[in-house]
Parts: sequence; C-alpha cells; structure tokens
Amino acid sequence: MSKAKKILSSKPLIMMVWFLVLVVLWEIGASNMEKTKRTPENILPHVSQIVGSVTDGKLVSNNMTATQIVLKSAGATLERALIGFLFGSVFGFLMALLMKLSNLVEKTIFPYLMLIQMIPIIGMAPIILAITHDIGTSRIVIAAILTFYPVATNTLAGLNSVSKEKYELMYSYAANKWTIYKKVLIPSCIPYFFTGLKISAPMAITASILVDTLQGDGGLGCMLSQSLKHAMSIYVFWQIVFFSAIIGILSSVLMGFIEKLVSPQMRQFRQSRKHRSKA
Amino acid sequence: MSEMLKEEWKKEIEIKIDDVCMSFKDNSGNDVQALNHINLAIHKGEFISLLGPSGCGKTTLLRTIADLLEPTTGKVRISGMTPKEIRLQQKFGIVFQSPVLFEWRTVKKNVELPLEIMYWSKEERSKQADKMLELVGLTKFADHYPKQLSGGMQQRVGIARAFGIKPNILLMDEPFSALDEFTKEKLHDDLLKMWRETNKTVIFVTHNIQEAVYLSDKVCVLSPHPGRLSAVVDIDLERPRNIRMKESQHFTDLVAKVRNSFEGGSL
Amino acid sequence: MIKRKKNVFVRFITNPKVQPFLSVILPVALGLFIFILWQTQVLHKLLHTDTFTLPLPSQINQIIGDNIPKIITNVKSTVLVAVIGLTIGSLIGYLIAVIATVFPKWGAGGLSIVAAFNAIPIVALAPVMTNWTKDVSKDASVRSMVAKILVVMIVSIATMSVNAYRGLNDLPVFSLDLMKSYAAKRRIVFLKLRLPNSVPYIFTALRVGVPSSVISAIVSEYFAEYITGVGRQIRENIVIAQYATAWAYIAVACIIGISMYCILMIFEGILLRNRRS
Repeated sequence: MSKAKKILSSKPLIMMVWFLVLVVLWEIGASNMEKTKRTPENILPHVSQIVGSVTDGKLVSNNMTATQIVLKSAGATLERALIGFLFGSVFGFLMALLMKLSNLVEKTIFPYLMLIQMIPIIGMAPIILAITHDIGTSRIVIAAILTFYPVATNTLAGLNSVSKEKYELMYSYAANKWTIYKKVLIPSCIPYFFTGLKISAPMAITASILVDTLQGDGGLGCMLSQSLKHAMSIYVFWQIVFFSAIIGILSSVLMGFIEKLVSPQMRQFRQSRKHRSKA
Repeated sequence: MSEMLKEEWKKEIEIKIDDVCMSFKDNSGNDVQALNHINLAIHKGEFISLLGPSGCGKTTLLRTIADLLEPTTGKVRISGMTPKEIRLQQKFGIVFQSPVLFEWRTVKKNVELPLEIMYWSKEERSKQADKMLELVGLTKFADHYPKQLSGGMQQRVGIARAFGIKPNILLMDEPFSALDEFTKEKLHDDLLKMWRETNKTVIFVTHNIQEAVYLSDKVCVLSPHPGRLSAVVDIDLERPRNIRMKESQHFTDLVAKVRNSFEGGSL
Repeated sequence: MIKRKKNVFVRFITNPKVQPFLSVILPVALGLFIFILWQTQVLHKLLHTDTFTLPLPSQINQIIGDNIPKIITNVKSTVLVAVIGLTIGSLIGYLIAVIATVFPKWGAGGLSIVAAFNAIPIVALAPVMTNWTKDVSKDASVRSMVAKILVVMIVSIATMSVNAYRGLNDLPVFSLDLMKSYAAKRRIVFLKLRLPNSVPYIFTALRVGVPSSVISAIVSEYFAEYITGVGRQIRENIVIAQYATAWAYIAVACIIGISMYCILMIFEGILLRNRRS
C-alpha cells in the first residue's frame, strides 16, 4: 500500500470524513429551513451561525455575551457534576471492595445494584430537589447515584475476574488478605473501574444539566430552558446543545486518558511503542 | 558437594504420603474416589513425576502436598511437618499449567512478587530476580510485560519465580502441556539444569510418558477410577540427561515399562 | 481450597446449603428494614424531611389505587415512546452494524461517530428534537410523541450498532476459514454465521437499551410540548407541590423499568437457552 493510500484509509481520517458528512447534512437541512421558515435559527441554524455566535461580542443578557453565559453556567454545572462524580466513584469503589470482602454484604446489596440499573433514577431528580431544598446538593446527589452503580458493578466484576490460580499462588506464598488485595485484587480491577468511570462520566453531566432545568439559579440546563423560552438569544441554546454534547464525549475520553496515565496495565502499550520506535 | 554426599543426602525421606484417600461428591451427589489409599515416600532432592491420564488424581495428589486440598483420610508429612506448616514457612514453589503472571507487572517484577510478600529487601529482591532471569535466559526481557512474551517465555518466567523463593519443594502441575514440542524440549533441559544447580525436590505432574521418563528419577504411575498408585518405576538413565538419550534403546524400554504398568482398560 | 473455620456462626453462613437461602433472605431483610424505617418515619428524621415531601409507603400505595385510570394513560404514553423508539432505534442500529460489516473500512470509522452519540446528554437532544418536529402534525400530542420517540431512537441506535457490530465480527476462531473452505458466498456466511453469532450481542445491547429507553422517554417528556407521561407527571406534581402524587409516579416509573427488564430477561432466557454452557 502506498503511503498516501495508507494515510487516506487511517481511522481518524475516515472519522473526519464521516463527521464532515454529518455537517454537510446539517447544512443542507439548514439551507432548506432558511427558505421555508420565518425564524430558521429556532429550528436549524447554519453551523457558521452557531460558530459565529460563539465569537460574537454582542451582549445577550446581564451584560454578557452568549459565550460568556454558556461558560459561566457550565462552570456551575460541571463543578457539581464533578463533585457528585467524585463522591459516586469513591463510594462505588469502596462498596465493590466491601462486597468482595464480605459475602454477606454482597448478597444483601447486589440485587439492589441490579435493580437500580433498571429504574430511571434521573426521573427522581425533582423529588430529590424537594427533599434537599437545595439545587446544588440535589445535583451532587443525583450525579453521585448515577456514578455509583456503574462504578460499583464494574469494579466488582473486576475483583471477581481474578483467576483461581492467582489465589492459589498467593495461598502457597502464605500471603495474608491485605497483601492479596494490595498486590492482586486492586490492580486487577483498575481497568474495570475505569470502564465504570467512562460510562458514568457523561451520565453525571447529563444528570447535572437536567437538575439545572428544574430551578433557575444559573447552570447550563437553566440557561437552556430560558433560551428556549426566548428569554435570551436562541444561540445560547444552540451553543449549550453542542457544548454539552462535546463535554459529554470529552468526559468519557478524559477518563480513558486518565486510565492510561495511572493504570499499570496500559503502561505496556507505551513500552511496546517505545521498543518499536527503537527498532 | 561431593557426589557421594549427594547420594547420601538423597536417601533422606522428605515427603511421606501415608495412606491418603480423597473423595468428592460429584454433581449428582455420588461419592467419587479421586485418591485411593496412596502411599509414597519422596526423598530429598529427588525429581518425581506423577504420571497418568486425566481423572487419575495426579493433580489432586499434588494439591494435597501443596496444602491446597486436605485429604479425606490419611496424612501427608513433609520433613515431619504438615503441608500447612511448610506452606506458612513459604517453602513451596508452585508452577501451574498456565503461567499465572500478573499482567500489570514487568517480567522482573513478577519474579520479585513472592519475594515482596516475604519481606526481602529491595536490593536482595532485585539481585535474586536478575539471577533467576539469567538462569532461564530472559535477562534481556526483564522490563517487558507478560503480554509481550511468547507462551514458552511466559512459562519460563513462572519457573524463575518458583525457583526464586528458594523453596524446599517445587510443585509443577503440567507446566509444559500447553507448549509446542520444540519449546518443551528446550524447557526440559533448562529445568533439569536449574534443578541440578539448586538441589530442590521436584514433584512434576504430567500426562506425557516420554516427558516423565526423560525428566525424572522416579515415575509414579497413577490409574483412574478410583485414582490409585499402580507402579513406581525407577528411571536409571544417567545424569545429566541429554536429548540423544531419547533415541536409545534403554529409553524406549523404560517408556514401554511405564506404559505397561497402567492398570484398567480405560487407556 | 480448604479453610478451617472455628466459629459456629461463620460455619453456618459459609455452609453451601445455606447460601441460596441467604441470597434471598438478606436482600429482603434489607428491603423490609428500609420499609419499616420509612413507614415509622425514622427515615424522615434521618433525611430531615417530613411526610409531606416523603409520603409514607401506605399513602403512596393509596394514591396509586385512587388514580389507576389516569396512571394507566400516562404509563401507556411513556411505554409506547420507549418501546417504539427502542424498536426502531435497535433496527436502525443493527442495520448500521450490518452496513459497517459489509464495508469494514468505512464502516468502523462511521461506527465510532455513532458510538460518540452515546455520550451526548439526552438533555441536549430532547429540545432539539422538539424543535425539529414542529411541522410533523398540527396535533401537539402527536408531534410531541414523534419528538420523544426520536430521542429514544437516537440513544438506542448507538447502543445497538456498537454491540451488533461486535456480534457480527467477533466470530469463533477459524469459522471464517471454515466457511471459505466450503466456498460459501458472502450472503451465506452472513446468514449462517454472522447473524446467529450476533444474537447474544443483541441481548447485551438490549440489557443496556431497555433501561436507557425508559430513562430517555422520561427525560424527553420534560421537554415535550404536550403534557403527558410518567416522567412529566413527576415533575408537574412537584411544581404544584403534590409530592405524594409525584411519589406515586416515581413508584410507577420504577415498576415500568423493572417489568420491561424482566420481560427482556424472559425473552433472552427462551431464545438463548441452548447457548448456555
């Protein structure tokens, strides 16, 4: 295969092409709307219009530009999503450890971990707001619950993935329980733990934005509703839509990146790359 | 150590298996006799093979020695102590059929793992691991991860790890059965070399007759249903062994002798 | 591995014969415990709330009993959205996976884009869909329905296509070579090998897809024009401070989620019964 052809068939490039196809489809739709609708920007603005609104210095509301509004409210939303996410992942990890340590705890909790996956927790957001009386707290609580169970189930799966022979080997060394956890179980479950994080990071963000829409104290969801009700420029809405989509995807990618940094299993790939470049 | 002294030393019984029986319940609740009145004495420094078809209880017997299983009746004594006491003194080196390496540790760190558990100092660990890796010829791969190695190399790491803890007894459960014939032959000679240099007692479980004859001082032939010891064949091939011996008449005779000592028609 | 236990209690709970009973008794005991805390209002003290915001289970139960016709209307709306969206989305998702299998070079890259849709918050999708379906019908209930179905559909497409692609391509070792040795045509390979191989993966996708379709339906109800559905009722009742009614709908939402999952499990049990080792 020639070099040019190789580059052309590389995966990132193919993804770029597909991405462009989506943009083109969007633009065709937008042009169509422009001809048929009185207010096309409410339904399908051009990509250039959305991008333009990002760099536009026009003040939309409260002496702020659309971008400033989005970034400021994103700060509030993401901060709480992050706190909830951290709580949820730490708690989920500890719960998985506890379930591994005690058969009784596992038997008691595990059915509920399964159950919680089947029920729409996010639908409970309004009631949690009613109980906590505080939008910030409820955002954290919902994000934490949504993070908790994917992390707990995946980490537990990781802890249970350790082969019988590894236990027997440790047994033959007369290793104590703490050593087995430190040297075998915890390193084994790290990739599974990150799988859980990758699933839950976008969920935590979704939850946080959704809770925003319930009460007006700033935050992405709140601005999104207001913009939809034409309380401010509709481009705030479009910016938030794309911003949250990008943040959702990036949060998952970020978890993968952190995994590569901390997980020893991943180090081997960097190692092998180094070897190849030496050769 | 002089040859005579070595011979003298070999006469000392290290492991005594005394009328060991082992029965399990199978899925339908029936009693299955895995081991039936096994008696065996293993001398210090001996290379012993437990040979038999699947279901003959050879792995079960190895596991009772390793304190991974407790016999239903009868007892195992190692230098006068129970297997559990020996295990708690960390005197067992075990090699399984699969290499059982820890994929997040480098080759060297894998060899060091049991030494960490035994609280060796960092320098000693490193020195010992280097020494062991040199013995199995993997010095160049010390910083690689298990997934970057071939199956044979991975099993070598497992062997290096087992020898690294300076065990009294080395227990090997079909360690080469997943490897190709060429790799296997190479590892046979490596294992014999390490055994000669370290004077360990080795108990080697296998279903390969040639392998058992080539490696061992004694081949213990086990037959299934119920698992029982049907013969102990002394292998008087001279040491050190080499691959040429496999072509000799004596070797062929020994293989035939072992094969003929199986009982039961299930073969 | 033999473990020598001394304690009678420990011996009892590690007894293999006791295990199945413990698996049932322990979770039920925990559920009962929470139920009692709730009914006796201890839970309210712990959460610093009152029976107005967190009504007693008996109250919730009564409200469900009193409002059955109304609840059924809303359940129908939500379930319909979830099921139609999931079905269309899964079909499209599977089709995308098939196309990606036929054109592997372009398909795999395209699939990564589709997979990225998985990470898009539903909150961002729902209002966009509401906007796009303004012209579908003059009837607000119809166009809201379409918008909600579209949201569920998009979410389901991503899950199904990624899993189905795996099912169509993670084939048993040498099976493709075997097919080649029979000089099997691509169509035959697809029908006899890839399609059956993908069935368990379809269920893997649905295990994720069923709960997420209910969640997507509920969230998109928040942004829909027409006020209907279990999720919307939760919200509307909280706005007018009817917490007990809101709780009744939360309970109903949980029942929907659990029963849809159970139905899926039954189907899976029947269809995959011979594949279990």
